[in-house]
Amino acid sequence: MSETAKFTDDILTVAREKARQIVEQAENERQRLVDDAKATIAREANDILRNAQAEAEGIKRREVSEARHQVKLLEQSEKDKILTAVLDEVKARVRETARDESKYLAYIARLGADAIRQLGMERVTVHLNAEDLKRIDVSNLTHEIDKHAPSLAKVEISKEPILASGGIVVSSQDGKVRIVNTFEQRFEALEPKLLVQAGQLLFSQK
Amino acid sequence: MSGLETVKIIVDAEKEGSNMLNEAQARASEIRKQVDALIKIEREDRLSVATKEAASIVQRAESEGKSEAILYQEESKQNIKKVLQRASANRAAAVKALFDMIMG
Repeated sequence: MSETAKFTDDILTVAREKARQIVEQAENERQRLVDDAKATIAREANDILRNAQAEAEGIKRREVSEARHQVKLLEQSEKDKILTAVLDEVKARVRETARDESKYLAYIARLGADAIRQLGMERVTVHLNAEDLKRIDVSNLTHEIDKHAPSLAKVEISKEPILASGGIVVSSQDGKVRIVNTFEQRFEALEPKLLVQAGQLLFSQK
Repeated sequence: MSGLETVKIIVDAEKEGSNMLNEAQARASEIRKQVDALIKIEREDRLSVATKEAASIVQRAESEGKSEAILYQEESKQNIKKVLQRASANRAAAVKALFDMIMG
């Protein structure tokens, strides 16, 4: 090979090698960018799936939680219906008792005697509703009260009726101090205890 | 071979080498240009699959959640029915106990 041919061959060999390196470098760079991008895309895809899983769990939890809430409301509503019905029946039965004069007389006499003890006064006034004022014999009532609280106080029956479905109110003569033992007051005062007791008796698992 | 011919051969060889480098640069530019498009396609494909799968996961969860809720409600309604039956059976005793509390 002549010197010239060797020289030109060297020029072309160097150029070919440089050209190969330029392309190779570009391909390597492309591969690195693609690999990096794939890793980033995989992370993005995983994020999408992870978010979907979290959302899915939330959806399931919400569905079941909503169902639980609905069931609780239904259960409470049904229990309330029964409790209300029982309390209404009790109230009706109490009012029914007021029609049995002998039992009722003994009952309000006992309530009256309790009130007289609480008042601790020498003279007291007993108040009844209009119906009781008409049908109950006043002397019988004072006699019955005296049986439960003998000689504690002189009892006077007020002619002014009270507004109540039954029961008794005992007051000082001037009316400033009153012990109220009407049915309504007893229902109101006992209601929390009645509800607890009814709940236990009706719904207890035992 | 004359000196002029020798110089011409060398200049031609340098031209050819220069062309080789220019072609290589052009090829390298082409390769770099392809990267963005390649990544765009990869992202669209992969994220499209992931998005579809995600929608399917959520849809399945809605369906499973509804089924679980229905099952829970059915079981609970049976339990409530038992509670109410027991309450009905205890009702008379409860009325008597409450009546006694009021009548004291």
